[in-house]
Amino acid sequence: MMNGYKKFLWFALLPLWFACKPGKGKLIPVNDFFKSQDKVSFALSPNGKTLSYLKLTDKVQNIFIENTEGGESVQVTKLSEKGVGFYFWVSDNELIYYKDKQGPGRQSDVFIIDKSGNNQRQLNDNAKSRMRVLKDQLIDNKYLLVSSNKRDSTVFDVYRLNVRDGKMEMAARNPGNITDWITDSKGKLRLATSSDGVNETLLYRENENMAFTPILTNNFKTTLKPIAFAETRPHTIYAISSVNRDKNALVELDCNTGKETRVLFANDTLNVVDAQYSRNKKRMAFVVCETWKKEKFYLDDTVKAFYAKLDKLLPKTESRIIDRDKAENVFIVRTFTDKNPGSYYLYFADKGVIRKLSDFNSAIREEQMSEMKPISFISRDGLKINGYLTMPINRPTKNLPVVVLPHNGPGNRNTWGYNAEVQFLASRGYAVFQVNFRGSSGYGKEFMAAGFKQWGGKINNDINDGVNWLIKQHIANPKRIGIYGVGLGGYLALNSVYSSPGLYNCAASNSGVINLFSYLKAVPPFLKTNLQMYYTIIGNPDTEVDYMRQASPVFHSDKIDVPVFIAQSPKDQWVNSGEVIQFVKELKKKNVNVTYFEKDKESFPIPNEESRQHLYVALEQFLDVNLKKK
Amino acid sequence: MTSVKNSGYRKNFSLIVLFLILISVLFILSLFLAYNFSKKFIENEFVSEKVKVLESSIKPYNDFFQNKLPEVSYYNGYLDSATTSRFVDTLLLQYPFVSQVNFYDAEVGSTPVTNGLNTGHFSFGPKYIYQFGSLVPADSVKIFSKSKPGKFSRGDDFMTLGFKLISYIETLDTTKAPNADELFSNFSIVRSNKITYLNIPRFEDLKVYKQMMRTKLKTSPVYQQDMLSFFLDPYKIKIINTKPKLYETIRIEPLTYDPLDTSSDYSTTEITLPGPFSDYKLYFSSANSFVDKAVFEYFLPIALIVLFFYAILVLIAFLIYRNLNINHRMFKLQYDFVNNLTHEFKTPVSVIKIAGNNIKSAASLTEREQQMYGRILDEEADKLNGLMNKLLAFTQIENKAIQLNQDEINIVDFIESTIESHQLKYPDFNFTYEVNGFTSFVTDPVLLGSLFDNLAENAYKYSPVSHKFLHVTAKLIKGKIVFRFTDRGIGIPAPEINNIFKKFYRIQNQYNQNGSVGLGLAFCKELVNFMKGEITVKSKVNQGTEFKIVLPYND
Repeated sequence: MMNGYKKFLWFALLPLWFACKPGKGKLIPVNDFFKSQDKVSFALSPNGKTLSYLKLTDKVQNIFIENTEGGESVQVTKLSEKGVGFYFWVSDNELIYYKDKQGPGRQSDVFIIDKSGNNQRQLNDNAKSRMRVLKDQLIDNKYLLVSSNKRDSTVFDVYRLNVRDGKMEMAARNPGNITDWITDSKGKLRLATSSDGVNETLLYRENENMAFTPILTNNFKTTLKPIAFAETRPHTIYAISSVNRDKNALVELDCNTGKETRVLFANDTLNVVDAQYSRNKKRMAFVVCETWKKEKFYLDDTVKAFYAKLDKLLPKTESRIIDRDKAENVFIVRTFTDKNPGSYYLYFADKGVIRKLSDFNSAIREEQMSEMKPISFISRDGLKINGYLTMPINRPTKNLPVVVLPHNGPGNRNTWGYNAEVQFLASRGYAVFQVNFRGSSGYGKEFMAAGFKQWGGKINNDINDGVNWLIKQHIANPKRIGIYGVGLGGYLALNSVYSSPGLYNCAASNSGVINLFSYLKAVPPFLKTNLQMYYTIIGNPDTEVDYMRQASPVFHSDKIDVPVFIAQSPKDQWVNSGEVIQFVKELKKKNVNVTYFEKDKESFPIPNEESRQHLYVALEQFLDVNLKKK
Repeated sequence: MTSVKNSGYRKNFSLIVLFLILISVLFILSLFLAYNFSKKFIENEFVSEKVKVLESSIKPYNDFFQNKLPEVSYYNGYLDSATTSRFVDTLLLQYPFVSQVNFYDAEVGSTPVTNGLNTGHFSFGPKYIYQFGSLVPADSVKIFSKSKPGKFSRGDDFMTLGFKLISYIETLDTTKAPNADELFSNFSIVRSNKITYLNIPRFEDLKVYKQMMRTKLKTSPVYQQDMLSFFLDPYKIKIINTKPKLYETIRIEPLTYDPLDTSSDYSTTEITLPGPFSDYKLYFSSANSFVDKAVFEYFLPIALIVLFFYAILVLIAFLIYRNLNINHRMFKLQYDFVNNLTHEFKTPVSVIKIAGNNIKSAASLTEREQQMYGRILDEEADKLNGLMNKLLAFTQIENKAIQLNQDEINIVDFIESTIESHQLKYPDFNFTYEVNGFTSFVTDPVLLGSLFDNLAENAYKYSPVSHKFLHVTAKLIKGKIVFRFTDRGIGIPAPEINNIFKKFYRIQNQYNQNGSVGLGLAFCKELVNFMKGEITVKSKVNQGTEFKIVLPYND
């Protein structure tokens, strides 16, 4: 009886459904957007003969290999509880992998294994120390250069790890301020960066028997990122540098004098974010600049020809080479567009053939996705702010409900490409608005510095100016604007609803920072050197208590009066979950409509598909009620 | 007739009286019960409502305890004297029961401190101590500085909470994150008139604290801790009397307060305050007269409702009585009518019977006798016929069973023929007329004739012998025809004037002793209504009566 009634009701409502959504079929299920990939982390053995990847077996990631020429896949690791988090080849026959963390307080276990699956040995012995592999290459077929904090949890020394017997011998002792070690192409430790928290110093030595000498000191606002040693010239490195310029350029640096000897690529409007060195050709191949999207600028004609050939094989899509063999003949290529999460391909340069390996997310159909358009506007104080606007397909382009999506940070930015969160929101009929507010990376030093200590201040102004610009363009319905973000994006969302009352109808925060004091307190002991940098970017809690208090939502629960969605993992290290619960309680006492979602109850630290789906379903409902129905 | 009337009347009356007595008893009883109930209720309220007074009075304290104390932790140890001073200022404004705040800007470190607590390599000592409050003079805000140690009494709040902190860290289970309640209770001390609160560090920091107790850490970390001691004054709690009609006075008194001179004129009750105020209680007292007033105020609406229902019942009783009375009168009228009618029929019938007997028993009839008997029979038969016609026509009109004829009549001719027929019957009848504004109109001549005959008959009947006079005027006024029948008769007494158009109603007097059934004017009214007109009457006793008939003018 009841069933019959329900069936009838369903049929009765069916025409309504179609009437409400003209020209639109069923909603794409939430999970389709956030599906875990079937196969991830493709890599090639140095000789280019073996292809490896991670694949789920019973919800646990294991390494699989297969012949690049094709053939059966073979399971290398046979883990059943904690899977492989990360791995790489160190020789044609051996791989190193990191197991997923065993839980809070324990560090990742690191193993070496033969590609046949035999000969597995654990490399780190101390569960409390962290180990990082500096060079993915075996020296003398047995030594691996690693950095570890086993001597002192706050500093990383460099060790030569014998993968055959697991013995570690110290290669370089960290005086306490070295934050990074860089090797040359032969695996010799010749460069290091040290930091006093605010200033970064580049240190160099000619060979491993000498002591490191400082060559150049820069404030952290300035980039100086070594890319590779110039093998043809002594004492010379290639580096991405913004020393004495606003935008990053690719330069050649003399390590004895610390002077730039040559500028390989520089442009007043283009910011170099990456550069590729060809080991094979022993020269710089190209630089990558990011404006609204990443573009390659070739420094070598043969490289240019190579990519032209590849682009012909993979038309109308962006492509990135994610791994290559030593001979630079076999490549793993990843493609994507804003509407397509993309696929993995295997490319044989000598034969000019390409073979598809797997789709990033096969559930996504390109024609159902929305275009991500770059936009820009001028802020109230005259700064040009860039961003992206994704309009829902098959809908009028005026008077839309808008979800503003401030990016996480600091020193982060929104990039062009397939973004599951953006596409998910657009498919639900929202215009999705992303702003690269001041303080975002990729627009030069000045733009970055302009955002320092402007949390809840000029950063929010930039976002608000963007929203007002959208309203002026008649794209946004001023009564239906929501703001949602993750991490510091969530912080900006919560901050906006009390610092800009009236502009936003609701705010949603996913693992959002609600207290800047706690955020700084969370800088872990081994990042101690970074604390001064955080003080510069966020604010100094010793001297700027008032600003920090004003900017922290947790102190202002009394000023919030729009519906709020807060998703929080109780184990999030950047946020004190007790504070979040207290905050939610205070809002509830004030009769503010709060939706509190505790995520990752069981699956922390790696969120599984199910918990992610629950989160987005909850978010969808929250936005639906507050941006569409009211 | 009299016995019927009396017995029916008395029976109903006594029933109604009985009914009234019963509901009155019920009314008084329910008032009595309601009053007793109100009294009991208010007495109970007096004891139970104190919880609500306590809840609303202590609400600011709960708000302070649950929302404001945790705010200290939000600063994660970064509080300084300026910020604390501002924080305290808002506290003092918002929560008047906070009288003073001591702020211990403290450090947890691994080097031993002289003014503080040391255990293993864990030391906990204040860098500065400040006191804030409206009564604290500006020069004594800072009362301790690590560089210039002054007086620092070991028994105070800092030590107490410090010991609690150390014993908590001692027993801390580092494998499992502690829950918020556990942390709160271990980082605060609630004592009489005082709450001390230490900002709750992160779990990671607590783990380091624990390590520091066992081993000397190379990094010699220093952690900032803020401790705040809030001095509370229970007498400053703002009492919110949620039941001002119940409690005359509410005071805060020490727990031991128990006045000897509690006279029986006062009702009192008390409830202990929670948390740091537990040495105090709320003391409620009200004069008995005050309580009685509350009882009465509670009772009054109940009494009004009871009264209202009582009034409705009385009203219903009255209406039943009135309807019975009217029905009784109707019954009496119809009874009279039957009597009259019988009488009316009896006279002509007996005259006819006598005339018939005389004719039958006479051997021969003289010419004069035959003429006489013929006339008598003819007249009496006419009388009977007239009576029956009248009764029949009335019933028909009343039931709307006849059709209205529409004939044009000449009004002068019509009135003259009426006068002629009446003067033929009554030669002493002075019947005059006057017509103005029209000569003819459309109506039913039979009905109009009945109307004229009835009114003329009445005018003749109810006039003294010397004044048998009737003047009829017919005028066209504002599109309506108005007839006025003016006589110089005996008139109608004012109290009766509303009854004369009722069926079977007759004014008791000498003129209608014979040949009247009390139908004439009721019949006229029905006729006029049927012709869509109106009839009204004006009269003065012994001077005359004027009937006014307004009829629609159909040309």
